[in-house]
Amino acid sequence: MTTSSTRGLLQATGLCLAFGGVKAVEDFSFDAKPGEIVGIIGPNGAGKTTVFNLITGVYAPDKGSVVLDGIELTGWRQDAIARQGIGRTFQNIRLFKGLNVLENVMTASDPYAPYNFFSAILALPAKRAADRQAAQKAREYLDLVGLAGMEDARPESLPYGLQRKLELARALAIQPKVILLDEPAAGLNPSEVREFIDLVRRLHERFNFTIVFIEHRMEVVMNLSHKLFVLSFGKLLASGEPEAVRRNPEVIEAYIGEEE
Amino acid sequence: MDYIYSILTLTGITMIGVMGTYMVTGLTGQFSFGQAAFMAVGGYVSAMLTLKFGLPFPLVALVGSAAAMLTGLLVGMPTVRLRRDYISLVTFGFGEAIISVLNNSAQLTGGAEGLVGIPKRVDLPLVIVSVVCCLFLVACYKNSKYGRQCLALRTDELAARSMGIDVNRMKLVTFLFASAITGYAGVLYAFYSQYLEPGYYNWTVSAEWLIIVFVGGINSLTGAMVSAVILTSLPELLRFASAWRILIYCIIVLLIINFRPNGIFGDWEISRLWKKRKPVQGGLP
Amino acid sequence: MLQNIFFGLSLGAVYSLVAVGFALVFNILKFSNFSHGGVMSFTAYAGYLAYIWIFDGRISGSVMFLAVVLTAAVAGAITAVGIERVGFRRLRRNQAPVIYYFISSITLGILLENIITIFASSNFYSYPVFFSSKNIEILGMSFSVADFVTLLFSAAALAILLFVLYRTKLGLAVRTVSFDVNTASLMGIDADRVVMATFAMSGALGGISGVFLGMNYSLYPQLGQLVVKGFIASVIGGLGNITGAVIGALLLGIVEVALIGMVGSGWMPACVFVIMLVFLLVRPRGIAGVIVQEKA
Repeated sequence: MTTSSTRGLLQATGLCLAFGGVKAVEDFSFDAKPGEIVGIIGPNGAGKTTVFNLITGVYAPDKGSVVLDGIELTGWRQDAIARQGIGRTFQNIRLFKGLNVLENVMTASDPYAPYNFFSAILALPAKRAADRQAAQKAREYLDLVGLAGMEDARPESLPYGLQRKLELARALAIQPKVILLDEPAAGLNPSEVREFIDLVRRLHERFNFTIVFIEHRMEVVMNLSHKLFVLSFGKLLASGEPEAVRRNPEVIEAYIGEEE
Repeated sequence: MDYIYSILTLTGITMIGVMGTYMVTGLTGQFSFGQAAFMAVGGYVSAMLTLKFGLPFPLVALVGSAAAMLTGLLVGMPTVRLRRDYISLVTFGFGEAIISVLNNSAQLTGGAEGLVGIPKRVDLPLVIVSVVCCLFLVACYKNSKYGRQCLALRTDELAARSMGIDVNRMKLVTFLFASAITGYAGVLYAFYSQYLEPGYYNWTVSAEWLIIVFVGGINSLTGAMVSAVILTSLPELLRFASAWRILIYCIIVLLIINFRPNGIFGDWEISRLWKKRKPVQGGLP
Repeated sequence: MLQNIFFGLSLGAVYSLVAVGFALVFNILKFSNFSHGGVMSFTAYAGYLAYIWIFDGRISGSVMFLAVVLTAAVAGAITAVGIERVGFRRLRRNQAPVIYYFISSITLGILLENIITIFASSNFYSYPVFFSSKNIEILGMSFSVADFVTLLFSAAALAILLFVLYRTKLGLAVRTVSFDVNTASLMGIDADRVVMATFAMSGALGGISGVFLGMNYSLYPQLGQLVVKGFIASVIGGLGNITGAVIGALLLGIVEVALIGMVGSGWMPACVFVIMLVFLLVRPRGIAGVIVQEKA
């Protein structure tokens, strides 16, 4: 990356959001530099997913701003933000059940596919070529996460671990500058978790994108993240190097208080 | 023979109408209760142009479909961004509104007595060719980037948006295409039956189309077409009274919803028969 | 003028019964229950059958009216519970997507309508004249007795409903379930029973509105399609909100009567459609509703 490494690629400043009277997120700021892997942790209900929803435009913040690569995205529509280069996965996997595995990944390039309505309904050569290319690319992403050979399967028929990988491949396929992973290791068994950590490392080395992830598993958090932000009751509790954060008494307090 | 001929023709026209419903419901997951109204627009516009100005059939067929599409734009623009429940309401209201307009502009449309004297321009061969052409267009649409984005947003709008899919635009484009196709079905009907009356287009027709799509399986165009043929022609051949026919439809639908929620065909498409043999080639048709 | 407003209010009162019956089910299962229309036609006929088979010749006038309304309400409650059993119970067990409920409800509505068509063969029947005097004079203006009774009865029915919802244990359970079915069942509420009770209440309201509609328009199998008025009213009021539904329905009644005066009954549906479209554009969540946000 050529962008100056001191400036954040993704910068959220002073995010606030209340549902009715409940403050879900209060004055939360964080930033991620190009190529950085940032973890967001915190007890259940601390507002982590809400932060993702604010960044990706599912909710508009009451206050605060989100800037990606110098462009302010606050108040943009969700799909426009995605096209600007923020990909994401979901805590409770959300695949497209009406489409097969390959098509799930192809949806990433569909918003840009270079053919018009008439080429589509007449299956003109332009459309065929573009779709073939898109399928080829999608297959590469499936290869990367280890789903080669399963193109025709129905996503809901895959085992849980593979569904997570498919969702990851789908998010990668939009070629994001920043990828947000919401509890990517939830529901995986210990060997799958290790495999997952390796996979993320490999992908990160290859694409060198910025990763922001929410996670409860300390193994994943300590292994992957360069920087940690701790959320508690919608507020920033601590941030910094993973080791330092782990020893922070306030953080320990917040976690023990939750009796996890 | 004439009887069979007319059943086949009407079945063909119904198939085209069902294609429109399939797109709106099967692809984008919306329920249109006013789909038959687009048929009315197509039929009335083309018939009136012929009767008043003597324009040739191919031209009025085109204008009729285009008029249906324009009406679709009017209804679709404000509604695509609303909750799905609202879309059924708006399309329903639209259907009623169209019928009330047709009934109340008697000097133009013949009002409740109907529009008579439309020349016969449609016969079975033309309907068959039309079915094949429309089916080709719709199948290609389903297999294109449009179809994929629609199916994505049908299962999960939020996830679809997170992939950069412009959900509202996709819904609108599909809605317009469906309106045009349905309008064309209306043109065919007008120039086949030579007589139009507003009462023919009420919401039960739209509901019947929905049921047909549902019985076939909302994920399968093949299923929709097969069930259109069976559910339209069989009761006619067996000469059921229409109330009994609908009664039987309803019972079938209830059974399917409860015991086979994906419809008879699930997501099976006939194109898989020849897709299977070749190694996968870019997921193209 | 005042007479017209009054007429509109009484029409709106009937719509409000429809809309509230509609909103009750929406509240709990979050789908637009079109089978409600089927319940309305069905009960209107049930009331009529009770009149010719049982009550005719034994009672008359307002006693007859009460008997017919009560029969219809009970029939409505039973039909609605049956509908829930056939159409929605299994879907809830399978956690089916909302569109299935929707299709199921439409199908049931059409089914009921066609059962009636088969047995009543689309003939028109009408209720007897329940009230001997047609009009009453107040302050020099005459109001129709039937309108007056409609208004009074609808208000009473809604009052009873509100009492049940906000002052009884059952009502509390209903409100809890409408907040979140899963949590409610975790807390030990028998969701099946509550859903059944809700359908019964909604069906009873449907029955009463069926009789009023039958009095206004005579009986025909498609009577239940007037459920759309209830739908429009609850959209204007905000889906699932009961107060909103009532306000929306009264507004709709007044607007319809006004429109009939201005453009005639033929053009009225087209005008109502345009008004509704504009309303949805300006305020999609309805008068009182809140936007239902998908969970991420």
